[in-house]
Amino acid sequence: MAIDRLNLQILAHHCGAAAEAMAYTLMRTAHSTFVKETEDFSCGILTTEGVTFASPKGLGATWYIGLDYGPAIRMIDSYEEGDVCLTNDPYSGFVATHSPDIHIWKPIFWKGELVAFVAGHIHNTDVGGAVPATLSRTLSEVQQEGLRVPPVKILARGKPNVDVLKIMNINVRVPEQNWGDLNAQFASVNVGERKVHEIIERFGLDTFKAAQRELLDYAETQARAIVRDIPDGDYFFSEFADEDSDGGPPCRIAITLRVRGETLELDYTGSDPQLSASLNMPTGGRERHVLPMVGLGYVLYTLNPNLLLNAGVLRVARAILPRGTVVNCEPPAAVGMRSLTCAVTQLCTFGAFARALPERMAASPAGGLSIINVKTTDTTGTPVMASLGPVGGGSGGTPTDDGVEGSGANASFLKNTPVEISESEIPVRFRRYHLWAGSGGPGRFRGGLGTVMEFEVFAPETMVTARNRDRSRFACWGTAGGRAGALSRFVKNPDSDHPVELGNKDIVQCEPGDVLRIVGAGAGGWGSPLDRDPEKVLQDVRCGFVSVAAARADYGVVVAGDAVDAAATTALRAAMRPAASNAAFDYGANRSAFEAEWTEAAYDALTTALARTPVVWRHFLKKAVFAAVERGEHGTLAGAERVRRVVADLMRRYPALGALTA
Amino acid sequence: MGYRVGVDIGGSFTDFAVLDEADNSIRSLKVFSRPDQPGAEVLHGMRLLEERYGIAPAAVSYFTHGTTVGINTVIQRKGLKLALFTTRHFEDVLELARLKIADMYNLFSRRPTPLVARDRVFPIDERIDADGSVLTPLDRASVEAALAAASAKGCEAVVVSLLHCYRNPAHERAVKAIAAEVAPGLPVILSSDVWPIIREYERTITAAISGYVQPRVAHYLGSLQAALKTAGVAPEPRITKSNGGVMTAEQGKSDCIQMILSGTASGVIGASFIAGSCGLKRVMSLDIGGTSADVALIHDGRPQYGVGELIGEFQIFIPSVSVSSIGEGGGSIAWVDELGVLKVGPESAGSNPGPACYGRGGTRPTITDAFAVCGLIGHGALGYDAVKVDAAAARAAVATVADRLGVPVEDAAEAIIKVSVAGMYAEVSGLVSRFGIDPREYALMGFGGAGPMMACILARELKVPQVVVPTTPGVLSALGGLIADMKNDFIRTVYCPLDDAAVATMGTIFAELGARARAWLHDEQGYRGVADVRLSADMRYRGQSFEIEVPLEAAWIAAGDRAAIAEAFHREHETLFGHADRAAAVQAINLRLVIAGSTPKPALPALAAGEGAPAPAGHATARLDGADHAVPLYRRADLRAGQRFVGPAVVLQDDCTTVVTPGSTVTVDPFGNLLIQVQPL
Repeated sequence: MAIDRLNLQILAHHCGAAAEAMAYTLMRTAHSTFVKETEDFSCGILTTEGVTFASPKGLGATWYIGLDYGPAIRMIDSYEEGDVCLTNDPYSGFVATHSPDIHIWKPIFWKGELVAFVAGHIHNTDVGGAVPATLSRTLSEVQQEGLRVPPVKILARGKPNVDVLKIMNINVRVPEQNWGDLNAQFASVNVGERKVHEIIERFGLDTFKAAQRELLDYAETQARAIVRDIPDGDYFFSEFADEDSDGGPPCRIAITLRVRGETLELDYTGSDPQLSASLNMPTGGRERHVLPMVGLGYVLYTLNPNLLLNAGVLRVARAILPRGTVVNCEPPAAVGMRSLTCAVTQLCTFGAFARALPERMAASPAGGLSIINVKTTDTTGTPVMASLGPVGGGSGGTPTDDGVEGSGANASFLKNTPVEISESEIPVRFRRYHLWAGSGGPGRFRGGLGTVMEFEVFAPETMVTARNRDRSRFACWGTAGGRAGALSRFVKNPDSDHPVELGNKDIVQCEPGDVLRIVGAGAGGWGSPLDRDPEKVLQDVRCGFVSVAAARADYGVVVAGDAVDAAATTALRAAMRPAASNAAFDYGANRSAFEAEWTEAAYDALTTALARTPVVWRHFLKKAVFAAVERGEHGTLAGAERVRRVVADLMRRYPALGALTA
Repeated sequence: MGYRVGVDIGGSFTDFAVLDEADNSIRSLKVFSRPDQPGAEVLHGMRLLEERYGIAPAAVSYFTHGTTVGINTVIQRKGLKLALFTTRHFEDVLELARLKIADMYNLFSRRPTPLVARDRVFPIDERIDADGSVLTPLDRASVEAALAAASAKGCEAVVVSLLHCYRNPAHERAVKAIAAEVAPGLPVILSSDVWPIIREYERTITAAISGYVQPRVAHYLGSLQAALKTAGVAPEPRITKSNGGVMTAEQGKSDCIQMILSGTASGVIGASFIAGSCGLKRVMSLDIGGTSADVALIHDGRPQYGVGELIGEFQIFIPSVSVSSIGEGGGSIAWVDELGVLKVGPESAGSNPGPACYGRGGTRPTITDAFAVCGLIGHGALGYDAVKVDAAAARAAVATVADRLGVPVEDAAEAIIKVSVAGMYAEVSGLVSRFGIDPREYALMGFGGAGPMMACILARELKVPQVVVPTTPGVLSALGGLIADMKNDFIRTVYCPLDDAAVATMGTIFAELGARARAWLHDEQGYRGVADVRLSADMRYRGQSFEIEVPLEAAWIAAGDRAAIAEAFHREHETLFGHADRAAAVQAINLRLVIAGSTPKPALPALAAGEGAPAPAGHATARLDGADHAVPLYRRADLRAGQRFVGPAVVLQDDCTTVVTPGSTVTVDPFGNLLIQVQPL
């Protein structure tokens, strides 16, 4: 059977069904709740080169469409029937992106010929290392992040590699759970193998091979058609994480999006140097690595929701990932919390596309989404632990609609934990779980609100972790005249006489009676708030999403009683209009103030200087430059010139560095 | 002796199944549904029953009815203007839902607009703890303020859902009492009454939907009662329920949520009954209508039950017959995408205008049109003369796609069928992997107007070896309602470790639930027979965030046999997920009790035996598997028990058409069901 326009969708259905069968098998048989509830796993069917051509849509994590197993596959000398290979090492083949992700792949043979691979991963709750559950922002070397297995045959012709399994088991905290999950992965790839065999039996080997090509080509053609509609040009955007380490200076991601006809380039030059914290993304500099492409996948799919999601989509683009930076770190940089950085790259990608397509893209969704976990003791003194779920914010205003409240856009896959379940499970008492009034960025189409979670704990030495805290300094931008959303906040004992602002802290010790309040960031607004339909503003006031005062100050809408004062509103809006910003982006006060000092030119100077230094010096040097600027050194200068002078001082202060750089 | 009548109103057609108590024979009838005037089709059908079969309304001894009026109220957003009262600082429960948003790759995807707008949600000052104790007493002033605010907003009813009310409903009940004083006549719906489960969103949305549909459903049922009375149908009508049972129409007026999925559930009940009668151990039911295609699993004549069924854009969490949607039915529209690739669905022509070949204004090609072009349907009237298939209109519609593809109309039509079947295959394949079952152990039972048309073609993709087509596949839902038991579910959340103390408590709780259940069955439903009572518990390993339902033996509860209960859980876990951990701590979350009073079941009448191959009523040229065949046409009414024939073949009957794929062998079983051994691909 030849592949043509009449039957391509048939093969798409069958290959998609095979990938979904793998996903369902994984979810059904996995041991860790992680897999069943947060769906932090992936699976797919790959060409013999390791390119993913079929994935389960709507199941699993959204990041791994088009994951390239090629380099890892090629690190194994030869394949035989019944082999299953495994790696979790972020630096071997750049398939695993942090150590808890255990990836496996299995060759599929048909009459002795290698015809495809099936593969997948599970995020294991713990793979050993310095801290329970393996991940912490504070770690600085990959060796601290637990077990690392380079690509090995874990099953050779179906026979377990007992020695490696023993090593894996002894290095992790809950080996039974990892072993259970690994068995679920074996079951998943076996189902995948069977389904591939069924497709070949049904349609023939030639058709199956052609389908691999055609499905990739189809997705590529779709993607090219999308890109063709984007005006050619260079579109620069930068985005920041509040901190590059505990209490550190901001971490900058920069992207120059180059659109040329049907192709795209995501040039990450200008992104910060790699860090001695675990925020680094291990991409190996590979131009189609999935991590720097996650935002792109979202954008292309949003522009055409009929897009077939496979590696073909990524063929329209290449990423430039300078070595020794946070988007292409070198060993032994730690990478455990690369999710925070990857989230920033997604927002940065959205920003670059918003420059290119201001009428078709949304404002920034709320970043800084964090997952709250509590470890405490119950009334009998037994330690208990539970995840209270995510706290974040909504999606940005779009050219036609308000953002979604509380979650959305690139965080749509997350589920919350019911308050009633959390309170039944561990001794915490919720005082609030609702939307945070006034947090959405004003705009013609308002940004989605953030959520607030507030709870009291009852036992000493209660530890609360809030992984991936961010956005308590830099807000989520508004666009097309829309404004930034409100900042995220983390406060211990709010509404008391001794509140403590925790900023981006991700671990907090609590005593009995302590109350924690986590407020998610608001998303950005789209379009001028002065153009918002006054009736919508009124409805927001009625819902408690916007105050009467904010309706007036932000939207120029005068609400009197339960109605809009139309005449007063017209007058007020007319008065406000001349001063209203029509900037393409509103970044919020803190970022504007920061960038008044740290201009693009200043950053260029810093990036250029750092790029010349050895990788091991870069994060240290960056922090030293920020500290010097903070102290006011060369305060008479500004921007690039000031940075150059500060750097020159540092070179003199550290002769070893000067020698290395010369 | 009289007639037992089951009526099912679907999107396109309203089906009647009539059981003659004298000889157990079944008659059927189909009329167009009247979404504009629900209820009119019932009376229209009753008149036709009398005209055609001489079944006088006065001779009706039992009447059951399934309707989509509830679900349509939600889909069309035509329900009540509700207020919602929640515990203060937890008002956004419907806005937030469970956060997750479908179509998660699309940056613009949204959660559905909540049924209760946020400006109609009002806080109540009160707090109950997870163990049911009162942390903050109910503040009457806050209730009065909420009632005043709701009334100022013009709310027509109030849904109350307070934290942990499943443990202690006292505050919710107090709110209702205050409302009765302050705002007499205002309907107040308590989440602890509707379905008292833990998980605030799930409980609140279930209560909200119940309140939302209540007046329409009640009004509809009231009109139906009146109309039936006028028509001379004496017995109190019974309404089919989402859980596969029935209840009185009178109860349906207040317990609306229970009937919201009545149509799909009773189809599966009908299929289960046939499966049981035929002795089929494992059956997948395939119910394809004009606007939907659903699959359910039936083991040993019993359907599976679950929660979380979709009502429009929302899930509800009452126990329902578990049904999975696998497509949009015979009305799914075929189209060619921007790269010239043929696709089918998800857009559907629905029942209005419907497929082009129905001649009701549809012009775009649907799956049904593709079958018409291939000559596989249209050799007799569909739906008892309600619809004549217009093959020319079907060709014209499919030609629009064929032209874009640059292929002959027949090729396009066959490709449409293949693509749509591949789409259904993918969905069923997902179901198969989710439950870890082997389709080779199953029979596929095709019913609904289009199920028998597609069952063989889908079966061979799935490697299901056998297809079953019941005698009246077009009206199986109506039949299912007819034979459904009176049935109700009861639940109590316990949320505790499975220890000896918990097991002791279980006895007390099950006794309470049992007493309430018997009161329901005997007092409210007027049932006089012996009740069937089933016990189960939702359990999980500590740390898991989902529960599984485990059937329990009454003897274990009586004996306080904790070990037996735990072992039942481990086994169930093993069956579902392939592993169990007998050393791990187990939690019991909910206790459930289901009571059923059985209704008389028809003994399916035996069909007269025939011999050899039946004589075809004619032949037609039909396109199947890439070639034109001279296909024999058999009239279903001509077939006799024991007869066999081999496909390709088409079997015609009043309510549907069965397509038999080449090489497949049809055997007419003693009851007249078609058992088809499917020729593998």
